[in-house]
Amino acid sequence: MASEEEFTMLFQDFYPSLCRFLECLLGGRAPLAQDLAQESFLQLHRTAWGTLPVGEARFWLYRVARNMAINEFRKSHTRYRLFDRVVEVMTPRSRNPEQEYEARERNAKVLEMLQSLPEDQRAALLLREQEQLSYREIGEVLNISESKVKVDIFRARASLRERWSRMSGLPKVNAVSHGNPF
Amino acid sequence: MNCTFTEKISALIDGELSANEARDVERHLLGCNECEQLRADFLNLRSQLTSFETSLQPAVQNRALKKILGTERRASARRLQWSFGTQALGFAALVVVAAIISLLVYQASKQPAPGQQQVAIHTSSPAPSATVEPSKPPQSSASPEPARGNEQGPASKGKEEGTPQRAPSAPVNKPLVREPKPGEQFASLPSDAVRSADAQTMTAMHFEKTETLLVAFRNVRLNEPGTAAEVGYERQRAKQLVYQNMMLRREADAAGDVQISSLLESLEPILIDIANLPDSPDQDSVRVIRERVERKNIVPLLRVNSTALARALD
Repeated sequence: MASEEEFTMLFQDFYPSLCRFLECLLGGRAPLAQDLAQESFLQLHRTAWGTLPVGEARFWLYRVARNMAINEFRKSHTRYRLFDRVVEVMTPRSRNPEQEYEARERNAKVLEMLQSLPEDQRAALLLREQEQLSYREIGEVLNISESKVKVDIFRARASLRERWSRMSGLPKVNAVSHGNPF
Repeated sequence: MNCTFTEKISALIDGELSANEARDVERHLLGCNECEQLRADFLNLRSQLTSFETSLQPAVQNRALKKILGTERRASARRLQWSFGTQALGFAALVVVAAIISLLVYQASKQPAPGQQQVAIHTSSPAPSATVEPSKPPQSSASPEPARGNEQGPASKGKEEGTPQRAPSAPVNKPLVREPKPGEQFASLPSDAVRSADAQTMTAMHFEKTETLLVAFRNVRLNEPGTAAEVGYERQRAKQLVYQNMMLRREADAAGDVQISSLLESLEPILIDIANLPDSPDQDSVRVIRERVERKNIVPLLRVNSTALARALD
């Protein structure tokens, strides 16, 4: 039986990662991402903690969190978000304004690129690049086959590469075939 | 880009190729500038994505953890409170469910006499024992339903078919649950384990149904401004749930369960408002109710409570 101490450790290790994953998935809605991450951990603690192997808990969390994010997409694209904006603006920052500005610019660019992807490709790519899950693990989280994970990630990268080159004003890269890579 | 290897570059940088495949691709990269550039771009993209910084503050994280653990401790306390005598409660719940089914069948087959006084639970049982003997056959009635639910052996003799079951001479062991009249008090109900388990089951089911309704209502499509929304199903469902909500709230009040009672109390006006929506409500009416549901955080509360009740009954 997993203890509360283990749960706290898991929370400290993965809550920030889960927030980042959700924030990227939701297009930068940080307060909502934090709420959903908290709700995911709450569900884990209430329903699956103690029955689920600790090693599986991380995948369980990403699966539940992603489903919640999809529900949010369906619920409303527009409800956001005077309140969220206010929270963002009022949140105290620890860095100097210049660093803050650079980080915001960088984040905004990443989010803008990610928003151009279909949700399933975005989720697969984020789990690979940010969370460093293997294709098999991503397949478990997203409930798809390993080969579909491969295809989704390849297409996402190819698509972002083209977009990135356009955003950066670089010479246009040769288009990568989006056909089945394998 | 037509190189056949380009598609494997993605898997290569993820370490998802077999050793042989990886060696082939690496060898190819030595002579193919396009693929080398592709790999560099993919790796650059990776560094862009990993540089994304979440705006999470440590204070927020600590607050979230405290909230989760605090919520769970309260839920554990409730579970502990409700887990007393769960086997007995389970058995008792079974008995009450059987009684309710019998009553429903009985009510479906017979109309109550005009002006007849309704009671919430009829327990005119002179016998001290509360045991039930459901297997005894009806003695004189051609209709099996009342006998199964309310009559016990010889006590049912003399009952006339089609008459209510409240003959003063007929001792009844099993409580007869009826829909209460508005304003009726439940304080006189026996607060035994049987009723408690039954109430919890019904409350959990009610919460689940209401949650489904509110989620469906939240997802009602609002098209163009000024056009009407389609809420026929939600209205119908809310009408069905309002009355049950009132009944369960009074039961929770009588049992002194403040938490359930207050949740039911906050549900009531929302259900009434949905039920009273016109045939084609304007979008603002729908939106106002939705915002109230969101503001009161009703759906997560329902989910938490229905799960806790269900687990307590397991």
